[in-house]
Amino acid sequence: MSDRVPAALLEAVRADFRPVRPLAAPWRRTMMLAPAGFLFAVLSPLFWGLRQNFSALTPSLSWGLSFLQVVIGLVVVGAALHEAVPGRTLSGRALAAIVGGAIALEVAVTLYTALMVPTVVPPGAWIRFAWECWFMAGLSGAPVLAAAAWLAARALPARPWLAGGIYGLGAGLIADSGTRLFCWVSEPAHVLVAHGGSILALAALGALTAAAVEGVRGRTLWRR
Amino acid sequence: MRESGEGEDRLVRLMVEYQAGRTEAFEGLYEALAGILRRHFEAVSRGGATDDLVQDTFMEIHRSRRTYLPPLPVRPWVFGIARNVLRRHRRLAWRRARRDAFGAGHDVAPSPAVSGAPHQAIDARDVNDALRQLSPARRHAWELHHVEGLSFEEIARVLRIPVGAAKLRSSRAMGALRAALGIVKGERRE
Repeated sequence: MSDRVPAALLEAVRADFRPVRPLAAPWRRTMMLAPAGFLFAVLSPLFWGLRQNFSALTPSLSWGLSFLQVVIGLVVVGAALHEAVPGRTLSGRALAAIVGGAIALEVAVTLYTALMVPTVVPPGAWIRFAWECWFMAGLSGAPVLAAAAWLAARALPARPWLAGGIYGLGAGLIADSGTRLFCWVSEPAHVLVAHGGSILALAALGALTAAAVEGVRGRTLWRR
Repeated sequence: MRESGEGEDRLVRLMVEYQAGRTEAFEGLYEALAGILRRHFEAVSRGGATDDLVQDTFMEIHRSRRTYLPPLPVRPWVFGIARNVLRRHRRLAWRRARRDAFGAGHDVAPSPAVSGAPHQAIDARDVNDALRQLSPARRHAWELHHVEGLSFEEIARVLRIPVGAAKLRSSRAMGALRAALGIVKGERRE
């Protein structure tokens, strides 16, 4: 088999031929996000204000679980960056483990916090509280989502919506690590609907962002 | 043609040299991969633009060459890009068909199925006919293994399925092909 490069292709390639440095491995690129992730987990509750019953939480229940959420969130973002590299797409089993693990972590943290420090939403304030937490958590996750989107877009995801959904999920977990430190309500219904809803919204936003980026890139490249 | 581990090592070396800026390495990659990609697109695409797809894939390989992470195997990376190119190509074809149909006031019609390249021998036609009888999933796994020479691990990565499933699909495809061609224990029954 000896295919020769068509002249037009060779010319097009030569027009833009320069040495390139390979992308860093997905886990190394994820590490670039780690300082920002931990910073957001700390700054977010400090910015919005620590939960009023913060002193009732032990350090492991407050900072410890939030730290765990950031770590798992970074692992999820790392999986998305892995998925974004051509030829390194995740298997169905790996995807199920990542999504299932992230959801299980969120539910476990919620239930454990509710068990240790039970607090409920004041009567008549359910929707307002839900909206505020949903909005603030989403806002907190947006910078991490944007950074992850930028890192993933530098590769070439074969399933952009999936890569985006996964890094959105990771950004949501990282954001929630801060949200749970300023929202003093531990009632599972509130946390799962408002905080969990915000994580899902970030996952959906990630999927849309990645698909849009790839769509624009594809249209730009193919308009010849 | 079967590519050995040595062939994969050569591809990795070429990719590293290509990333370092050597044009000859790109030509070497083209020579090694164009045929495989052409057959891959013939197997999976429904349009007849195989050569365009191959060229577009190499353009995309060039644009995305920094996303290859040495010393990982090259072919799964190339097939990942080929999948991306095919997806864009299909979306573009669908948009064009929709736009044309809208402009002409007709219903949207899908692209005609690929007719396949003319074959030189009757046996090849028989095999091709038998291949067409297979489900796309089995046919694709069989072709990647027996035509492109990919290992089952590489096929699993390309098709995003477990290694066992890749083996099973290829094996069942082979069984169906033997049955269709009347081959028993390596010989053809006339």
